[in-house]
Amino acid sequence: MSLPTIEELATQLEAVSGAEKVEPDQPLQHIADVDSLDLMEWLYGFQNAYPHIPADESLFADIDDTTTLRVIHERLLALAPAQV
Amino acid sequence: MNGFEITGWGMAVPERVVTSTQLAERFGVDEQWVVSRCGIRERRAVGPGQTTASLAVEAGRRALERAGREPGEIAHLIVATATPEQPSPATSAFVHHDLGIAGSAHDVNSECAGFVYGLVQAMGLLRMDPRPVLLIGSDTHTLTVDPADKDLSILVGDGAGALVLEPSADDPVLGWNLGADGRCTGSLKVLAGGSRMPTTEDTVRQGLHYARINGNEIYLNAVRYTVRTVRETLAAAKVEAPEVCHVVPHQANIRIINSIVSHTGLRPEALVTNLDKYGNTASASIPIALTEALDAGRIHGGDTVLLAGFGAGMTWGSVLLEWGAGWGDNRKGSA
Repeated sequence: MSLPTIEELATQLEAVSGAEKVEPDQPLQHIADVDSLDLMEWLYGFQNAYPHIPADESLFADIDDTTTLRVIHERLLALAPAQV
Repeated sequence: MNGFEITGWGMAVPERVVTSTQLAERFGVDEQWVVSRCGIRERRAVGPGQTTASLAVEAGRRALERAGREPGEIAHLIVATATPEQPSPATSAFVHHDLGIAGSAHDVNSECAGFVYGLVQAMGLLRMDPRPVLLIGSDTHTLTVDPADKDLSILVGDGAGALVLEPSADDPVLGWNLGADGRCTGSLKVLAGGSRMPTTEDTVRQGLHYARINGNEIYLNAVRYTVRTVRETLAAAKVEAPEVCHVVPHQANIRIINSIVSHTGLRPEALVTNLDKYGNTASASIPIALTEALDAGRIHGGDTVLLAGFGAGMTWGSVLLEWGAGWGDNRKGSA
């Protein structure tokens, strides 16, 4: 099962958060309808879909007001180099 | 006599209300942020003279009255709490004395899963010794939270809930499951005050006697393990999730509860929630919600009732009951 693209990731986050639009390069903390529990809800779904990839809450541990979804996607790719 | 029936129930919450409006003002945030974060609009907080044991006594007395039982008829008292009356002796000893219980007394500390753990213990006790059991969940977490800690202050409330269980020929338990993952001790913790870090002037100065939470870890683990325990209990009972009539989850956070429902296939209409009024009352949240649902006439004989809890540690557990017709009709003066 290949990893989601950045666009698919954005769509998944929209679905769990109810946010109208999640832009890959917008800082996550600037998206009004997305909070840390939405990120955890998305992560829970990801962990179930990709149990072989060691993604946990540390993905978001150092999140600040510059961290974008693209950064998170890059971290996911780094966790699963064989999938790239 | 391998079964039991629930003959009484009751709850107690402090009179003092702390609204999310008040907390939003204290922390300089929008009230809507508080409500959207956890679904809690107000919670109750103990006042002078109110303690974990005093709330437990009040709830226990109401449950006994409902059951038509005298305290001296109770063979075993179990008090689930993570905020004890004092480090020693057990909170149940204080409750035992104040209620005038004649039998044994012990505490269960499985954090917010404590009531479900206590219920499973009561089920076992009733098999070995078929005499009445009083099971109480009581917590006063508003006293353990740093007043400056926004994340925990918006969540916690104080209260107690109780059940009286009595032996019966019929076994109402369709399935049950308990579990724990001790790797997760860091998610929600009070560092000081135990043998690992005894209380000193320095620990108090650093605020290490206050509870600390990693909300993200708690969210993930609460969803993961509660989904697991619900699935295992339903599988043991051979009951499909949509068939469950009433779901009484630990009232931690509406976001966690909704996620659990979404991932298990339980019906949202089956949910019994009241955390908007009381917040997270820890070991007390399940019996308080159950008591309100019963008093509202929502649960009827033959209904399936799923109780599911999770707590720090992590601990988790669930019990699926078939509610008995006539349970709770023994109140003094009842026909």
